[in-house]
Amino acid sequence: MENAEAEPSDSRPEEDDAAPRSGFSPPEQPVAAAATMEDCLAKKMEITVSEAEKRTGRNAMNMQETYTAYLIETRAVESQGEGQCAPVDSLWRRYSEFELLRNYLSVTYPHIVVPPLPEKRADFVWHKLSADNMDPDFVERRRIGLENFLLRVASHPVLCQDKIFYSFLTQEGGWKEMVNETGFQLKADSRLKALNATFRVKNPDKRFTELKHYSDELQSVISHLLRVRARVADRLYGVYKVHGNYGRVFSEWSAIEKEMGDGLQSAGHHMDVYAASIDDILEEEEHYADQLKEYLFYAEALRAVCRKHELMQYDLEMAAQDLTSKKQQCEELATGTVRTFSLKGMTSKLFGQETPEQREAKIKVLEEQIQEGEEQLKSKNLEGRDFVKSAWADIERFKEQKNHDLKEALISYAVMQISMCKKGIQVWTNAKECFSKM
Amino acid sequence: MSGGAAGAPKPLPSSGPKSLREMPHPLATSSSEEMGPALTPSPDLLLPRSIADKDLSLPNGTPVDTSSPASSSSLLNRLQLDDDLDGETRDLFVTVDDPKKHVCTMETYITYRVTTKTTRAEFDLPEYSVRRRYQDFDWLRNKLEESQPTHLIPPLPEKFVVKGVVDRFSEEFVETRRKALDKFLKRITDHPVLSFNEHFNVFLTAKDLNAYKKQGMALLSKMGESVKYVTGGYKLRSRPLEFAAIGEYLDTFSLKLGTIDRIAQRIIKEQLEYLVELREYGPVYSTWGGLEVELSEPLEGVSACIGNCCTALEELSEDMTEDFLPVLREYILYSESMKNVLKKRDQVQAEYEAKLEAVALKKEDRPKVPTDVEKCQDRVECFNADLKADMERWQNNKRQDFRQLLMGMADKNIQYYEKCLTAWESIIPLLQDKPETK
Repeated sequence: MENAEAEPSDSRPEEDDAAPRSGFSPPEQPVAAAATMEDCLAKKMEITVSEAEKRTGRNAMNMQETYTAYLIETRAVESQGEGQCAPVDSLWRRYSEFELLRNYLSVTYPHIVVPPLPEKRADFVWHKLSADNMDPDFVERRRIGLENFLLRVASHPVLCQDKIFYSFLTQEGGWKEMVNETGFQLKADSRLKALNATFRVKNPDKRFTELKHYSDELQSVISHLLRVRARVADRLYGVYKVHGNYGRVFSEWSAIEKEMGDGLQSAGHHMDVYAASIDDILEEEEHYADQLKEYLFYAEALRAVCRKHELMQYDLEMAAQDLTSKKQQCEELATGTVRTFSLKGMTSKLFGQETPEQREAKIKVLEEQIQEGEEQLKSKNLEGRDFVKSAWADIERFKEQKNHDLKEALISYAVMQISMCKKGIQVWTNAKECFSKM
Repeated sequence: MSGGAAGAPKPLPSSGPKSLREMPHPLATSSSEEMGPALTPSPDLLLPRSIADKDLSLPNGTPVDTSSPASSSSLLNRLQLDDDLDGETRDLFVTVDDPKKHVCTMETYITYRVTTKTTRAEFDLPEYSVRRRYQDFDWLRNKLEESQPTHLIPPLPEKFVVKGVVDRFSEEFVETRRKALDKFLKRITDHPVLSFNEHFNVFLTAKDLNAYKKQGMALLSKMGESVKYVTGGYKLRSRPLEFAAIGEYLDTFSLKLGTIDRIAQRIIKEQLEYLVELREYGPVYSTWGGLEVELSEPLEGVSACIGNCCTALEELSEDMTEDFLPVLREYILYSESMKNVLKKRDQVQAEYEAKLEAVALKKEDRPKVPTDVEKCQDRVECFNADLKADMERWQNNKRQDFRQLLMGMADKNIQYYEKCLTAWESIIPLLQDKPETK
């Protein structure tokens, strides 16, 4: 009998080129081929989160609470557009429902890097930004973030086909019950189990290990970046605003001057303009920060996929180990030799050997278990390889998306800086001209 | 009466300072007046005399009737005419440069080279080069205040610096001081009365200034510093409107300058704090670049760009500290000393009015006004004339100085933004660049 082994998980997955299957946690709908970009829901349907509204209601503990509801509007895109638009459907959802949706997707598609939600609480704020969740600016940026989330899911080749997602967008009532009926919470892996697996797994796919390190570092560096950026914004705000004081004092000074007065006065006005300009500049920059934040949270999604792999691999290794020990036991019973220490062996030594019938029975049970075990191992191996293959496909897709998006973000950041410099040159040139007329 | 023949007393210009071409070379004549600083200002001297001088006469020799105010104003008019020719017909050029550190047993100090180029008769040679330290400038200023109390003496940069906070020997400090000392001498040079002051002459020419200082009053005009103003006992009832206006103006002016100084300092402080954050911000992009593959170059580019902005900002703050703030402070000091001159003028007027009252009370029948009261009246009127002339000159110079100063400030800011603009524009192509191979 050979030692059953967990197949090394870094074998090339050449065989399966079927659509990524979620064979390990069967979804509610029939497995479909991944949609191509053209078939994505995003192409067929316009999705917007168009409004946010403050609501009051009663929470689970029957206490009054205030929350924000977001209006999701959808409209079918007519392929033969004649200018006639389909009617708009809309429904209201609150943040916790978005969370529920995302949890469902994460559990149901563990091999997918699931798009993250915008932050729950305002983080990385500098003094002018409010940390209050009800603050209108925060709500507005969250609205945009939620819309972005829906668009990401709708453009994902696998996720866009999910029925629960579709219902989220279109079915106002009873959606929560529908989600809960899928029983996805039961499939969720416990954190403890995942942690245990991370520590004990012996032979994970090296690519996933590397990816895990990468996502840890990415999270760390983007956090650092966002923190410092917030401080930079704070300081820059201070520099601009202090210039506003020039406006007032130039005005007062110009009152006592004859020839210099006009020049001073008008220069002072430009200083006011300069001081005021920083508000818009920094507001725009918050969008850049939000783009970075999305990828900060994406790092967590990447890690989740790695964790799932480790869990599966650990499971596999455990199953293989279990099978091996059972086979050994069987062999020992059959040959009567005790190769390894076991309690049974000790007790039989102490209390006498079993009867041949007892031994036969035991061997039979073991052989059945071994049979089962081998089948399970085989399917686990298959699952593992499927997972790795489909996960890696999505990771590659994600990498390209990330590189593209971040490049765009950097370009838009540079453009913002250029615009800021040009405004600065403009204002100071105007001021200089006023001074020259003194 | 233009340039005289050799042998005749050096003809001083009677209609404004002569251009260099028309001036005879001082060595061309063998006048006895060559031996040293003139003891008596020549009657041909156009420019208004110091109050110490009893003889007031117009260039053509007609004595001025100082008892009528009209004469002072005609003097004023004459002055203004001459000021207009200033620019083209300068005959005295002074520069302060070449700071050097001297280390002696007792102390360490800095000397500056004072270079003079002139065609004026008061100077034996056309060129002088001497070394002076701050003490010497301070001495000069005190002497000028004593000997020309009716005139506005330009300020010196601050005498004392807090040891430990400012490095007295740092390049920046020495350079700032040098510029201020240069400005000080240039202002005196441009002044039609002060530039002919004997102490000024000695300052520019003497090899051993200390010996001269010790000699005290020996070589000086008998009409020199002996004029003391009686302080105390005389209280001015009311300042004449025009001087009250000047006083009020100076009060508000120095107040506003003080505010501007504080604002400028605050801006520099905020900029430096902004710089600190930027210095941490840039390198984070670099760290991130180390994590990435395709994004590595764009991220490095952004990091370098921010580094360039840091350098530009540092230069801006340095410039403001070295060029902007000292000039503001100079003018605040200037205002203070001007207010003191106004007070002295009040004293002189008070004395005159008191003496006049005393005479009136004696109830003599129409005596001729006693000479000492007449002298007082002279003093008042000369003081007023000098002060008004100086105020006007000061106002003009102030306008030019501030025009230049503020345009300079605007310029520096423009340059800062231009440097940043260049940096950001140059990385756009880098960011947009698509890698060749996928």
